[in-house]
Amino acid sequence: MNRNIFSFRNSLASKVIFSTVLLSLGVVWLTGSALYSQLSDGVKQVNLETSLAEARSSFFNAQYEFLLVKGANTKIITETVQEIIISSTEVSLNQDRKSIFLSRFGQSADPLGTEIAPDYSTATDELDISSFPTELRQRVRASDIVEYKYATVKYKNRADANVLIAGRRIAIPESGNYEMYLVYSLTNQNTTLSLIKSSLLFTGLALLFLIGLITWLVVRQVVRPVREAARIAQQFTEGDFSQRMKVESSDEIATLGTAFNEMALSLESQITRLENLSRVQQRFVSDVSHELRTPLTTLRMASEVIYSAKASFDPNIARSSELLVAQLDRFEKLLEDLLEVSRFDAEVAVLEPVEFDLVRLIERCIEDVRANAHDHTISVEIDHETEQVMVRADFRRVERIMRNLLSNALDHADEKPIHVSVVATATEVGVGVRDFGPGMDPAALSRVFDRFWRADPSRARVRGGTGLGLSIALEDARLHNGELDAWGALGQGAHFVLTLPLIAGSQISGRPIRPQPKDYPQPI
Amino acid sequence: MTLVMVVDDDQDLAEMLGIVLTGAGIDVDLVSRGDEVLEVFRNNPPDLVLLDVMLPGLDGIEVCKLIRAESMVPIVMLSAKGDSHDVVRGLEAGADDYMVKPFRHPSELIARIRTRLRRTNADISGLLVIGDLSIDVTAHEVSRAGKKIALTRLEFDLLVALAKEPGRVFTRDALLGEVWGYRHSTDTRLVNVHVQRLRSKVEHDPEHPQIIMTVRGVGYKAGVLGGS
Repeated sequence: MNRNIFSFRNSLASKVIFSTVLLSLGVVWLTGSALYSQLSDGVKQVNLETSLAEARSSFFNAQYEFLLVKGANTKIITETVQEIIISSTEVSLNQDRKSIFLSRFGQSADPLGTEIAPDYSTATDELDISSFPTELRQRVRASDIVEYKYATVKYKNRADANVLIAGRRIAIPESGNYEMYLVYSLTNQNTTLSLIKSSLLFTGLALLFLIGLITWLVVRQVVRPVREAARIAQQFTEGDFSQRMKVESSDEIATLGTAFNEMALSLESQITRLENLSRVQQRFVSDVSHELRTPLTTLRMASEVIYSAKASFDPNIARSSELLVAQLDRFEKLLEDLLEVSRFDAEVAVLEPVEFDLVRLIERCIEDVRANAHDHTISVEIDHETEQVMVRADFRRVERIMRNLLSNALDHADEKPIHVSVVATATEVGVGVRDFGPGMDPAALSRVFDRFWRADPSRARVRGGTGLGLSIALEDARLHNGELDAWGALGQGAHFVLTLPLIAGSQISGRPIRPQPKDYPQPI
Repeated sequence: MTLVMVVDDDQDLAEMLGIVLTGAGIDVDLVSRGDEVLEVFRNNPPDLVLLDVMLPGLDGIEVCKLIRAESMVPIVMLSAKGDSHDVVRGLEAGADDYMVKPFRHPSELIARIRTRLRRTNADISGLLVIGDLSIDVTAHEVSRAGKKIALTRLEFDLLVALAKEPGRVFTRDALLGEVWGYRHSTDTRLVNVHVQRLRSKVEHDPEHPQIIMTVRGVGYKAGVLGGS
């Protein structure tokens, strides 16, 4: 069952899970991205504000210190610069690294230029000053407030880094105007951001997995009864009508179950009803058979007793006894045929296959039919390729087919010879019975297997056929999974071809003998 | 004179059978109810029983079993049903032969009865040995190691027919002609059922017969292996 669930094409569950997970992926992606951008904006903002506040305080402190030492000598100023550099680069707890960059610009502080003013320009941490954005430096030189910018700066001894640079113009006494920059490393911020990103990613994936799992559980609840219904329907197909679906709740699935069970019950009762009908029919056939046969037996024996004494009767009574015997024969044959037809109609005809030689059977049938025929002038030839053809079939039925075909041919032969051919293949055998009598037109051909249908009502009763022979022969052939085909043309005679599987019940794959005879069209 | 017991519930048919059989020089005892058969049978044992399948009182199949339980008399079933199910049931109950109503000719019935009454194999006499069975044709007895085996007349005839030519393969048709006297019947079920019954009496293991062997697709033969 699990294997089926995951085979996409065949399983409703996997289809539902797939689309649910796909849609959820979109939703999780969107919400995750929004969340991430909000969070990162917030983190950056807080970081920026903290850094700028600190920078402002550093710049203010530097300005204140330099104001205090105004007019002092160079040594004191130099010490002050050193102090400011140290205090400004002190790293607080959650900061990674902080660098400072001082650069003098413009004219020196001594307007008179009598003394060369000392230059305190410097950079800590091996900063590569050339990588500083010039746009920021111009802004700082021109401005009186703190300017900032995110940038990537180069270090001479380390890898490049993303940093926040805050800068302000500072005046150092006895030296001139300086740009003072504080460079804040963003490593910590980036670490935080990537932590947030990976947490979001993990949460999203976990969410997707859970959604998939939940969908599977839910879908299984729905699919299980459907599968159950399918299984039970399958068993119905195989003829087991006892199975029912379990109905445990009162939801839509339960409605399906109830409806299914009602259908099953109705089907079962219909089938039982039909089976009963068939059984009643079978009983009726059996009863009629018994009830008619017993008086018929008495009648036949009585008629035979009378017939055997006919020599002592006067001619009229003697002839009557002959007619009595003959008509009883006919009556009996008709009864047999009718019973057989009703057995086919009730579908209670059963096959009793035995193994026998078909060629021998046909030869014997020909002998019998010839012996019973009123005129012995008609010749029946048999043409078979092999000495014997062993088949597994119902002997009585095959014999009846052959007798019916042969007597039908004799009835319509117009005293011309009848030709019987037998051709066997590996799986089936064909028997053709060809006569050269008046033949049939297409309209007659289409009705030739109909019950009680006679090609020519005025002539067929001569031999006392019941009019059921061919239709019974067709049913007999089909009971074997075989076929009986007829061919006929006006003035060209008729050709009846029986095709039987060598083993009754297996399929026939072709016609060893084609209904259209080889000798047609005949040169006239 | 030969006595045939006719068991049929149809009065007219029974009377007609009586007329035909009497005409052929056979005495007739008419019984119309299944449950009366045994009493009449014991009081006046017939040479052959003609038994209808459908009977009031007691089913013909049951009657057949009861008669067979105490006698080896030939039994010919009369059946209005051609359905093989009933035929086989009758044969398995112990009937030797059956005829389906309506019979083609009364003479056919008489021929059957005469075949069953005739002493077949009258041409041979003395002792036949097949496997560890000894068959005393004259005394109509079969024994194994001095112990008698009870066979019906038909079973005895079937066994002798096979045993008189050990190793020869008899087709079912040939056996039908030889034992049942059929000129050409196609009902090989008669042979099959009786071979099964005979085997159950004379074989050590009916599933693996040593005395009556099946020749696939042809028929039967008596085993030629020497006896113990």
